[in-house]
Amino acid sequence: MAEFTFEAAGLGISFGGLKAVSGFGLKIHPEGLCGLIGPNGAGKTTVFNLMTGVYKPDQGTMTLGGQSLIGFAPYEIAKAGIARTFQNIRLMGDLSVLDNVLLSYHFREPYRYIDAILHTSRFQKNEAELKDRAVELLELMGLANRKDDQAKNLSYGNQRRLEIARALALRPKLLLLDEPAAGLNSKEKVDLMHTVSDIRDRFKVAILLIEHDMKLVMGICERITVLDHGEIIAEGTAKEIQENPKVIEAYLGVE
Amino acid sequence: MKYTQWIIFGLVIGAIWTLGFLFETNLNPYVVRVIVNCGIAMILAMSLNLVNGCAGQFSLGHAGFMGVGAYLSAAITTLLPVAFPQLSFLREPLGIGIAVVVGGFGAGIAGYLVGLPSLRLRGDYLAIVTLGFGEIIRIIFLNVDAVGGPRGLPGIPRESTFFWVYFWAFVTFLFLYRLMKSTYGRAILSIRENEIAAESMGIKVSHYKVVAFVISSFFAGIAGALFAHYQGFIDPATFNFNRSVDVVIMVVLGGMGSLSGALIGGIIVSLLPELLRMILFTMGGLPDTYRMVIFPLILIVLMLVRPVGLLGHKEIWDFFPSFKKKKGVKAHG
Ligand SMILES: Nc1ncnc2c1ncn2[C@@H]1O[C@H](COP(=O)(O)OP(=O)(O)O)[C@@H](O)[C@H]1O
Ligand SMILES: [Mg+2]
Repeated sequence: MAEFTFEAAGLGISFGGLKAVSGFGLKIHPEGLCGLIGPNGAGKTTVFNLMTGVYKPDQGTMTLGGQSLIGFAPYEIAKAGIARTFQNIRLMGDLSVLDNVLLSYHFREPYRYIDAILHTSRFQKNEAELKDRAVELLELMGLANRKDDQAKNLSYGNQRRLEIARALALRPKLLLLDEPAAGLNSKEKVDLMHTVSDIRDRFKVAILLIEHDMKLVMGICERITVLDHGEIIAEGTAKEIQENPKVIEAYLGVE
Repeated sequence: MKYTQWIIFGLVIGAIWTLGFLFETNLNPYVVRVIVNCGIAMILAMSLNLVNGCAGQFSLGHAGFMGVGAYLSAAITTLLPVAFPQLSFLREPLGIGIAVVVGGFGAGIAGYLVGLPSLRLRGDYLAIVTLGFGEIIRIIFLNVDAVGGPRGLPGIPRESTFFWVYFWAFVTFLFLYRLMKSTYGRAILSIRENEIAAESMGIKVSHYKVVAFVISSFFAGIAGALFAHYQGFIDPATFNFNRSVDVVIMVVLGGMGSLSGALIGGIIVSLLPELLRMILFTMGGLPDTYRMVIFPLILIVLMLVRPVGLLGHKEIWDFFPSFKKKKGVKAHG
């Protein structure tokens, strides 16, 4: 099972001379649940963008299951097995909730153009199968009854859930969640953290979770990486992190 | 299921044939001409809608691809039989049918060549570059003496009829409708909705932009070929910037991304000027130029009242939920 270990080392990127992230390293084992925390502007989202090919790193290496991901376009990263959600929600707002999830099955090419145009039995069968699978996922995320609504009409919390559902539909090896609890109330936040750890068990997927609120990640993450000013200032278990004076100073201190 | 589909197509095509027969024997030729032009406009609007409405890429060069289809097909049916007498069958209906399809493929290839470099650009930049390519295509026709240069190409067999135009309108509609209801359609729509998210969900955005552009150009070429064989004469000015703008207006008016909206937009943009012409005539023969003032005014008012276009992103049947439900039941049964 060591096959799909994600490993990054020395990742760095600058924007116009300003180092946003430097020397970033991380190892996530299959089905691991890790946290990435740090104050606002620390470079957490930038790390996700590096990991998903949105930004090309200036230096560093990055592999999934031994395969290098450097130079991959975002769609190639998705195919390779890394899915993500966005801090600023990026759903297909005008499309239905169901279509948002169905989109994630596209790269597996369920049928060809000719099947779609002639409505062949392959089209009928595979399209129905995809819909069943998508509805199943939506049920799990508590969105099945909203499947025909436009995504933009969902509540904020449901939009975040839909983002997770469609990322899961890619059947990733590694799922990146960028502040999935942002904007939720404290009860919803706790529920969501339960959902996150359920997802890990059910889908056998590794998860890297960005969360601004340190207490939330402490509860569920096995290992936590702390980022400040684009650099890792601590890495370890929740307990180690909580006791690390650097973290207390840089992170908890400002709270 | 598979057979009922073909029976329904047969019935629709039979109905188009019957309508064509009835119209051409009973209506005055002017009215038939307006109806046929409507059909061509509908094909143009539906095809441009794929790029401008569904993929959200603003193309302003549709007339150029229409021109490629028109010139290529006309060259096949008009010039080839002259050069090679043994190819005289190309002036017969079957030959013309082939020429129309070849015109479509030619336009599709042109769409590929234009789309590949220009679809890297976005928004206004893409609009300007496609406009430029549209003009380049027109200027090529203007300078190729074999197809008549500025004099145009006369003597094209006038074999497009109501039947053929509406047959192709039906094919275009069905093709695009089914495309958009498939995984490929979802990929194309995702470009409009959010490129970054689409890429992150495994969609190769640059590829599907080109796919949309090529399919769109193909049907523009078909429309152009039908047009050429309806008019019997084409010249470069027929495919100028104004015609591209007309098609954009059809799409915007009907609602970006709405296939049925494109049909309505096509009808309005073809019919309204004719209606205005009639109204001006009955009002004591006011000059025809008033038409050119009133028409844009109507459009401006419409866009102010309903900026998303008549149907928005929706289809006409979305406004009649009961019909949709019935359709849903049928699809399951
Ligand atoms: N595309 C970009 N261009 C310029 N600066 C950027 C870009 N993306 C991120 N940054 C900068 O990188 C830093 C880290 O941002 P970000 O990763 O969003 O922080 P976090 O997610 O930890 O709050 C910020 O100073 C931000 O301004
Ligand atoms: Mg962030």
